[in-house]
Amino acid sequence: MLKIENLYASVAGKEILKGIDLDVKAGEIHAIMGPNGSGKSTLSNVIAGRDGYEITQGSVIYKGKELLEMSPEERAWEGVFLAFQYPVEIPGVNNTYLLKAGLNAKRKHMGLDELDAIDFMQIVKKKADLVELDHSFLSRSVNEGFSGGEKKRNEIFQMAVLEPDLALLDETDSGLDIDALRIVAGGVNKLRSPDRAVVLVTHYQRLLDYIEPDVVHVLADGQILKSGGKELALELEKRGYDWVLQEATA
Amino acid sequence: MNDQMNDHVHDRMSESATFTEQLQDRFVETQKSLPGAHESWVRVLRKSAMDQVVSQGMPNTRHEAWKYTDVKKYLDRLLADSVEMPSLNVSEEMLTAFSFDDLDSLRVVMIDGKVSQALSSLKNIPAGVRIESMADMFAKEPDVIEAYLHDQHVSGAFAALNNAMMSDGVYLEIPDGVVVEQPLHCLFLSASGDSASYHIKNLIVAGECSQVTVIEHYASIGESTAFINAGTDVELHAGGRLEHYKLQQSGSKEVNIGSIRVHQHRDSYYHSHSVAFGAALSRRDIHVEMNGEGAECALNGLYLVGGRQHVDHHTRIDHVRPNCRSRESYKGVIDGRARAVFNGKVVVHENADQTDSAQSNANLLLSDQAEIDTKPDLEIYADDVKCAHGATVGQLDMKQLFYLRSRGLSEDEARNVLMFAFADEVLTAIKVPQVRKYLERIAFEKLPHGAELDGLLG
Ligand SMILES: Nc1ncnc2c1ncn2[C@@H]1O[C@H](COP(=O)(O)OP(=O)(O)O)[C@@H](O)[C@H]1O
Ligand SMILES: [Mg+2]
Repeated sequence: MLKIENLYASVAGKEILKGIDLDVKAGEIHAIMGPNGSGKSTLSNVIAGRDGYEITQGSVIYKGKELLEMSPEERAWEGVFLAFQYPVEIPGVNNTYLLKAGLNAKRKHMGLDELDAIDFMQIVKKKADLVELDHSFLSRSVNEGFSGGEKKRNEIFQMAVLEPDLALLDETDSGLDIDALRIVAGGVNKLRSPDRAVVLVTHYQRLLDYIEPDVVHVLADGQILKSGGKELALELEKRGYDWVLQEATA
Repeated sequence: MNDQMNDHVHDRMSESATFTEQLQDRFVETQKSLPGAHESWVRVLRKSAMDQVVSQGMPNTRHEAWKYTDVKKYLDRLLADSVEMPSLNVSEEMLTAFSFDDLDSLRVVMIDGKVSQALSSLKNIPAGVRIESMADMFAKEPDVIEAYLHDQHVSGAFAALNNAMMSDGVYLEIPDGVVVEQPLHCLFLSASGDSASYHIKNLIVAGECSQVTVIEHYASIGESTAFINAGTDVELHAGGRLEHYKLQQSGSKEVNIGSIRVHQHRDSYYHSHSVAFGAALSRRDIHVEMNGEGAECALNGLYLVGGRQHVDHHTRIDHVRPNCRSRESYKGVIDGRARAVFNGKVVVHENADQTDSAQSNANLLLSDQAEIDTKPDLEIYADDVKCAHGATVGQLDMKQLFYLRSRGLSEDEARNVLMFAFADEVLTAIKVPQVRKYLERIAFEKLPHGAELDGLLG
């Protein structure tokens, strides 16, 4: 589904990703862990198509196509979704409007009819219930005045509505209490299917108690230093990252 | 022969002297046909106003208040004949483009500077409320308007010229305690294709504890090159409330200049919404004097310009008495090679303690060649006051843009949505839903990338 080869990216002349290789197959869940500043958000942003990164080498093949040549919206239409680490507030832009415009643009791209207002509202309400998001949030401006946890839940809500094939969750679990964490995990598990893949960027093992990953990677200083099964996450939880770094330089 | 000699003399004088003398000639030629010519106070008022124009000269960019707004190339239009202008035949159907959906309103229509009784519709006016043509008031009841007009010390040559040449407009009088439910829609249409100037004068006298909504709406049919110089005087008596909309939707070749002067008495409330979309050049001066304790005013504004349009807003709020509150928020979206000017002055007079004033002006520049000159201006002569002001100039937020695109909105749509959200913050303050919708539609169509509006307005 997603095959990243030898990816190098820099920001403002500073090299941040230094040769990333990643192979995520349909149906799999991958967790990416690593110290702060190691490049996890950069990797997520590059996959989603954010401006401002210079890709100096490498390729990101998604469903057989080069993602790096697509605009962010084309990636969204093709089924890529990024749950942001820091979702931005957009005063004056209605949450529901955003989802309707996004979903219908995607449906159009897929050759499907646009949803009418009634069908759309039914979907939206069902998905809002799924992430236990009060319906009053639907008519509010995107993320405006939302608490940290509400913003994260709104991201998962959007994911549930847009039903991506490749979901990237950038520290969606950070700053959540245990109830919110369970809701977020529930949203991801609902999405799980043999045709879809999920990449979870996380600091904590605790999310992985709810969402069982197939593969765990350690990203440090712009490189994937180690990959393993879910037991690697437990080990990282216990021992931290230093030993991985030492092992890699040894 | 004599005229030719005069021309030679003028050639050697400064250009503006020549122009104001020509203007005075025109004034002398037309004053007898201007309304109220039989009344001595009107003649005195017009004459002294014209003297002010001549002594002061028409504005140029050396005048501080006109530093960024150059009217020079349009001034000749003020010399064109405007009194006997034949106006295009405007039908009822042509007005639907300028009406507000199903809004039940009172309507006065002016075509090329003259009130059209045929197109106006004034049904179910509450008892005692008067809605008249100013030309009629000058002709038949000059005494009624004298108190509000005769002793005017106006600042600025255009306001003075308006007093000298005012010909028609809307007179609205609301008795004490009367609430007018239907908004009064004053539609000023330019319909003639020729250069012409119109000196419109409106007068609103709102009695104690009265309430009314007035929509001053400037628009055009066809390719008008009119020069509109409007003046609206508002007397807002104790406890009165006025919602005042000023919608400037003039044709792309028109010049629309105007000033609004508001006298607020005790505990009155003045809410202004000034929206500018059209005209080659437009300039609006709003001057609010809070002369009574406990008065409150809110000035909102939105300008959306592109191409080579020029839009200028100057406001001045005088806190003369204690315990008054003023709020001001203007926003602008400037595209192409357009230029916008904002100058918001707040003067807190001596002893105007407990003044509470806040002002902001936010601008979005969409192109490298778009320009904004913005200046908040505070003068405080009292001690116990709360005043805040600020101006911002920016581009679209790249993080927001990426967020919307990552959810599947095309780049154009995402840009439109963000620009609209920025502008709509001003329009959401509009209390008449049909007017708000009408303006939102125009605002959206003015944005550079047309997209679907429905849904966004939800
Ligand atoms: N726009 C930027 N300009 C300069 N440096 C940046 C920018 N974005 C990220 N970085 C730097 O890149 C490195 C990786 O950041 P990031 O991808 O956010 O790490 P992580 O998500 O793993 O904490 C950090 O050192 C960060 O300071
Ligand atoms: Mg990060």
